[in-house]
Amino acid sequence: MTAVAATEPRRMRASLTLSVGIVLVGLHVVVALLTLVWTPYDPAGMAGGRLEGPSLAHWAGTDRLGRDLFTQIMIGSRIALTVGAGAVGIGALIGVTLGILAAFATRFLDDVLAAAFDILIAFPTLLLAMLVVAATDSASLFSAILALGLAISAIVGRLTRILAKRVLEMDYITAARTAGTSWAGIVFIHLLPNIWPTLLVNFALQFGLAVIAEASLSYLGLGAPPPNASWGRLLQEAQGTVYTAPFGAIAPGLALVTLVIGMNMLADGLRDIGDPTRRRSR
Amino acid sequence: MSAVLEIENLSVRSGETLLVSNLDLTIGENARVGLIGESGSGKSLTALAATGLLPPGLTATGSVVLDGTEVIGARDADLVPLRGSAVATVFQEPLTALDPLMRMGSQIYQPVLRRRRRAGEPAARADIEAEVRRLLERVALPDPDRIANAYPFEVSGGQRQRVAIAMALACHPKLLIADEPTTALDVTTQAEVLDLMAGLVREEGMALLFIGHDLPVVARIVDDVTVMRRGEVVERGPVGTVLARPEHDYTRTLVAAADAFDRALGAAR
Ligand SMILES: Nc1ncnc2c1ncn2[C@@H]1O[C@H](COP(=O)(O)OP(=O)(O)OP(=O)(O)O)[C@@H](O)[C@H]1O
Ligand SMILES: [Mg+2]
Repeated sequence: MTAVAATEPRRMRASLTLSVGIVLVGLHVVVALLTLVWTPYDPAGMAGGRLEGPSLAHWAGTDRLGRDLFTQIMIGSRIALTVGAGAVGIGALIGVTLGILAAFATRFLDDVLAAAFDILIAFPTLLLAMLVVAATDSASLFSAILALGLAISAIVGRLTRILAKRVLEMDYITAARTAGTSWAGIVFIHLLPNIWPTLLVNFALQFGLAVIAEASLSYLGLGAPPPNASWGRLLQEAQGTVYTAPFGAIAPGLALVTLVIGMNMLADGLRDIGDPTRRRSR
Repeated sequence: MSAVLEIENLSVRSGETLLVSNLDLTIGENARVGLIGESGSGKSLTALAATGLLPPGLTATGSVVLDGTEVIGARDADLVPLRGSAVATVFQEPLTALDPLMRMGSQIYQPVLRRRRRAGEPAARADIEAEVRRLLERVALPDPDRIANAYPFEVSGGQRQRVAIAMALACHPKLLIADEPTTALDVTTQAEVLDLMAGLVREEGMALLFIGHDLPVVARIVDDVTVMRRGEVVERGPVGTVLARPEHDYTRTLVAAADAFDRALGAAR
């Protein structure tokens, strides 16, 4: 009786978290898709006076060149989602694969991989981005995504390795192996489902960090070149006029915060669904 | 009679430390053998070495022939098909021996599917689910459908251990290794699970290696017993003989402890 009473609010909270997360992230996805076919104004053209405040015509005001800020923020959603999804996608693919490999590997290979993760984590992302730009011969959104993906792969790899090692020590893995389960079976049937909830939350965190990191990269000219307005670039441009036109900084900041919070809530909600001990209890 | 498991001169080391030394143990078809000894005497390591699943960092020397295949030095890929068909294991702590995030029905489904595929038997979903249900009934679980849909944390310790036994049974192994399968259970449940295992081993025609540190518990289910202490075999023989005329000091203390326990129980009654 009491157990049921105690889990009900928790379950409701979990589904509320998930719903808010879906709404916030969904909003950005819809806006991002919309910009592919329509924006309120031409993102590169003069749409009004310079540094106007918010109005019905310009919901977020205008920038120094008189361009509509709301239009740029909408396009920023697309860039942020591309960067986040791209970087986390690359990071997850490389990180999870190498992390699991390390957990299964011989002592020597495990040590090598662990050291590689640590070195890459200690390596400044900025320097990594410069190397990638040098290697790909152009600063583009892609080079920023690649650099961030590599940085994330080290973090994900280290986390996966630790989580996987802990799971591989469990009796149920030995039990499955004595019953003749192959390595592939162990990985896909037992290991991944058991480390997935924790990884998922980490992916959401990395997604938010990647979106923020892309901002600094594009400021330094290591990310998307103009006129692609990433939120980071908008923030940097608004810096000089933050006292006269504060909304130029507030608006992209709000956009960034809603996406990052939405991502984290989405991940939390998904984790709760994936974990039967949180989902229900008798 | 050929042996299912033939261990000769097995030593297990961790670096320089000898954890199991020069152990011999043979289990014939349908034989029920007990392995007893105090905590840390190397019982579990012996069982793991028998299936080629020693933890990383431990090395085994000597010879372990499992169902005709030499285990020591074998490639893991060659042992995978052997595991399950030759041997399956039930562990001490049923909560950690079951995948916490998987419904228990699915956990039995996997070994059934694998065995049927290997044997070239029909492996349609409905066939397997019917067998999972039969297995759950076989280990005397009430309400098999509810148990199949439940997660390990949702049932009692005794029920979990029955599910673990059903998983082992699903493999149809020639040898069942039970590593202190009843230690984590209360006394009544312990007796029930023991009787269940004894019955199943007899009916399915499996050999049994039963590991424990409690002489009366082990004596209840096996015919022969091997006593280990600090990684070495100190005594072996038929259960009755060892219980009645223990030769080694250590076995004597085990028997004395068991007698004292019985007397205490008798006095309490
Ligand atoms: N991975 C390992 N690395 C090093 N030493 C180990 C390892 N696993 C076990 N040992 C040691 O080997 C010895 C035998 O361990 P084992 O688990 O076989 O004991 P046991 O007889 O099963 O005891 P229990 O009744 O407590 O289960 C112990 O001293 C233990 O500390
Ligand atoms: Mg043990």
